[in-house]
Amino acid sequence: MQPAQSAEILRVHISESDRDGGKPLYEAIVARCRELRIAGVTVFRGLEGYGATAEMHTAHLVHSDRPIVITVVDTAENVQRLIPVVAEMIDTGLMATSAVRMIRVQKTA
Amino acid sequence: MAFLMRKGVSGATATRAFSGFGSHQLLHTPKIEVLAQHLPLRIEFVDTREKVEEILPTLYEMVSDGLIEVQDTNVVKHARKSPKPESKLPRQRQEGHAKMLRVFLGEADKWHDEPLYEAIVKRLRMLDIAGAAVYRGILGYGAKGHEHKQSFFHVSKDMPIMVSVIDSAEKIAAAAEAIEGMLEDGLIVISEAEMVRLVRSRQLREASDATGSIR
Repeated sequence: MQPAQSAEILRVHISESDRDGGKPLYEAIVARCRELRIAGVTVFRGLEGYGATAEMHTAHLVHSDRPIVITVVDTAENVQRLIPVVAEMIDTGLMATSAVRMIRVQKTA
Repeated sequence: MAFLMRKGVSGATATRAFSGFGSHQLLHTPKIEVLAQHLPLRIEFVDTREKVEEILPTLYEMVSDGLIEVQDTNVVKHARKSPKPESKLPRQRQEGHAKMLRVFLGEADKWHDEPLYEAIVKRLRMLDIAGAAVYRGILGYGAKGHEHKQSFFHVSKDMPIMVSVIDSAEKIAAAAEAIEGMLEDGLIVISEAEMVRLVRSRQLREASDATGSIR
């Protein structure tokens, strides 16, 4: 078994309807993570939720405004480097980090 | 079969084969009506060694014509549906320190021709892990370096997948090791968690009966 490294997980809670320029904010954040050479990012779409604006995020008839959670796992320093960048990009939202142990599996060359 | 049941064998199955031959040196097939009454039959039961040894002499006498075999087996799972509805069971609350395991992989990852996330959930079930949830992401990148994304015109079969599990530290360690062996490229993340588990199931009651701690 590979040794587990200590790392940090960052979760960014935003809305599907949040925009950055013309494209969805979550796409912009993922692209920014890539530029910053963050190891990996996954975006999840929730079914329903509410948050800072106390307005229900759900799928409406014509447009979808569901909650989005962007999950990043990387070393503590990389996550700390990412936080101010993402904070700059989001208008209303929430970021949470927790300490984790990470095992990276990469068997194919 | 009646004899086995009377003897309290935990379960027995009689299966009829489609065709065969044996000590009669006659091909038993359903083609000829007379011989259809004479199709091969197999009665099988699994029980403890003592039980089998207790029954075997009688069976030996009963079977005048045929074959009896005994083999060692490992019982992997022995589940029983309770005859009563389970809603009457009191709800139990378990609280305490636990660990959370998240596995990041791709939807297209395979394990012996089945989706890897399904194989992982099955394995976790075998390891008696309390529960697992599989999430499908809508966008991401990671170990493989390529972007998992889909648009209106392009339906991707390789979206990011996260499997999330919460259980005790020992169970999570076992799960992490098992999953690591199955994963080709991916990431396993373990973190501390505080768990409040509300269960109204027979499974928990059986588990506590076995340890004799909670009732």
